[in-house]
Amino acid sequence: MAGLSLQKVKKRFGETEVIGGVDLDVKDGEFVVFVGPSGCGKSTLLRMIAGLETTSDGRIEIGGRDVTGEDPAKRGIAMVFQTYALYPHMTVATNMGFPLEMAKRPKEEIDRKVAEAAKILHLEPYLQRKPRELSGGQRQRVAIGRAIVRQPGVFLFDEPLSNLDAELRVQMRIEIARLHQELGTTMIYVTHDQVEAMTLASRIVVLRAGRIEQVGAPLELYENPDNSFVAGFIGSPRMNFVPVTVVGVEGGKAMVAAPKLGLTGMAVATRGAAPKLGTAVNLGIRPEHFVAADGATSALSGKVTLVERLGGVTYAHAQLPEGGTITVESRDARSFNAGDGARFGLDGSRAFLFDQDGKRI
Amino acid sequence: MKRSFGQSLSLYGGLLLIALLIVLPFWWVISGSIKLPREIIQRVPTMIPESFTLQHFEKLLQASDFPVYLINSIIVASFSMAFTVLLALPAAYAFFRMEFPGRNALYRTILLAYAFPGVVVLIPLYGLFAKVGLIDSPVALVIVNVAFALPFSIWMMRSFLATIPREIEEAAVVDGAPTTTILVRILMPLIAPGIASVAIFAFISSWTEYLFASVLIVSDARRTIPVGFAGIIGQYQIDWGLLLAGATAAIIPVVILFALVGRWFVSGLTDGAVK
Repeated sequence: MAGLSLQKVKKRFGETEVIGGVDLDVKDGEFVVFVGPSGCGKSTLLRMIAGLETTSDGRIEIGGRDVTGEDPAKRGIAMVFQTYALYPHMTVATNMGFPLEMAKRPKEEIDRKVAEAAKILHLEPYLQRKPRELSGGQRQRVAIGRAIVRQPGVFLFDEPLSNLDAELRVQMRIEIARLHQELGTTMIYVTHDQVEAMTLASRIVVLRAGRIEQVGAPLELYENPDNSFVAGFIGSPRMNFVPVTVVGVEGGKAMVAAPKLGLTGMAVATRGAAPKLGTAVNLGIRPEHFVAADGATSALSGKVTLVERLGGVTYAHAQLPEGGTITVESRDARSFNAGDGARFGLDGSRAFLFDQDGKRI
Repeated sequence: MKRSFGQSLSLYGGLLLIALLIVLPFWWVISGSIKLPREIIQRVPTMIPESFTLQHFEKLLQASDFPVYLINSIIVASFSMAFTVLLALPAAYAFFRMEFPGRNALYRTILLAYAFPGVVVLIPLYGLFAKVGLIDSPVALVIVNVAFALPFSIWMMRSFLATIPREIEEAAVVDGAPTTTILVRILMPLIAPGIASVAIFAFISSWTEYLFASVLIVSDARRTIPVGFAGIIGQYQIDWGLLLAGATAAIIPVVILFALVGRWFVSGLTDGAVK
């Protein structure tokens, strides 16, 4: 087991900087998930940690040792690829034992460790099969098994569940969580699926354009995002952003209003310096944080354009008078109908304010 | 998509025509080799032999130099094949995966070399081989055959390597496999069909090579089949039976090679590797 430290890590492809000075400390045994939209550099960063991409600048330490220029095999890591990357002509047992074979371990030790890993991953009946004779989930388990036998200091997962169907993905997610509990090894996991990030991570690293936007525990990011990007990225459906104006400031709260949207005034907690009166800001409110309009002190007016009834929850998509759209979650399947005008109750204590650059106010 | 009867008819008709164009000459050679001489030279050729004899084969094996030519050809073609594969594989891997200055320029230059007809370099090569004492040596033929087969073989092998998902190699790198191990243990089994294709290409190129074999080999005992055969066609008469029997026998090693390496032409070898 080992911790990981990234110090001002940069990656350039020619003139293009894809990772721009990342600093991150991962404690021993932590499960850290890199999330971000496509092209944000999360996979590149993981590949740099693995040593599959060179580091243009900065320093990578694993277990307190500088591994920036080290070969992948000497970094004390194991990697599970999105596409499994199994050796198709080898059996499951040979696939899993390959890293130990390369490390010139004795055959008895290889057999023992492969058997142990197969037991953990329920792969014992398939050890003599070839990858093509396995299902997608089993193949991914073999790939994980190949990583386990090395007993690495750090596990690296590059979108390992992306190729699985929805049901299998849930199963494997649970399996990976169980594995982390069982092994207690440091795990770095890349995904664009925020459900995976929220359920697996001890800490989430949100990346955008090769830079870290925020690092924190899943609920911390959900409840206390630093900026509108993180606020919009964490949470599904994504947070609504509504343009409002600051009409009053008092004791750590800002009174915001958008008369044309039916919002006459609502107090929202601020952090840091108080915004100036008259400043145009964005009100962030999650779909699940709308409340019933009856009895709510503040509300937005809009016209329901589409209603998605999923059974347990219902999502109403509404058009606001000034052109924006919002998504509202309701537990009552019959509370909204497409085409109707409606008022959507707001709870100021669950709302956020962001300046025009997206920074949390 | 379902084809209409007319489409199917024209498709199968076309395929049959092409098959006949390819198969008929072979049939004429093979069936001719077992016909009596008078039937072979008959004014109206017979497609189905009316006579049967093995006299041409007997003469071929007992009274001609064919066995010597055959052995020479097998030696030259086998070595040419082996060296072509051995050199094309690492070269293709280097061009495909490794980063080094001038990689693309060198790759293009090698392909360009393939564009030159052999006759252009015949005289300089003769001079070169004469200087190093390789005239009348099968080594010279192997060198020439390998040199001419390599550009296309590298190109073909590189195309096969490109079908292997990069993650498989990366997984092997993370697992601690050195480059040679990756090539031998991981990539070679996966591109077996490519290796087989290159091997067959190299073997047949060498097996049928005439120009260099006719110039670089001087003594009769070192001739290969194509050149040796030319001697069978005499100035005043041609022993057609012997020629056809020789042509039939010359096909056999190639057929055996196909039978041996054919099992490597397995599609879907990388099934289950990714996704």
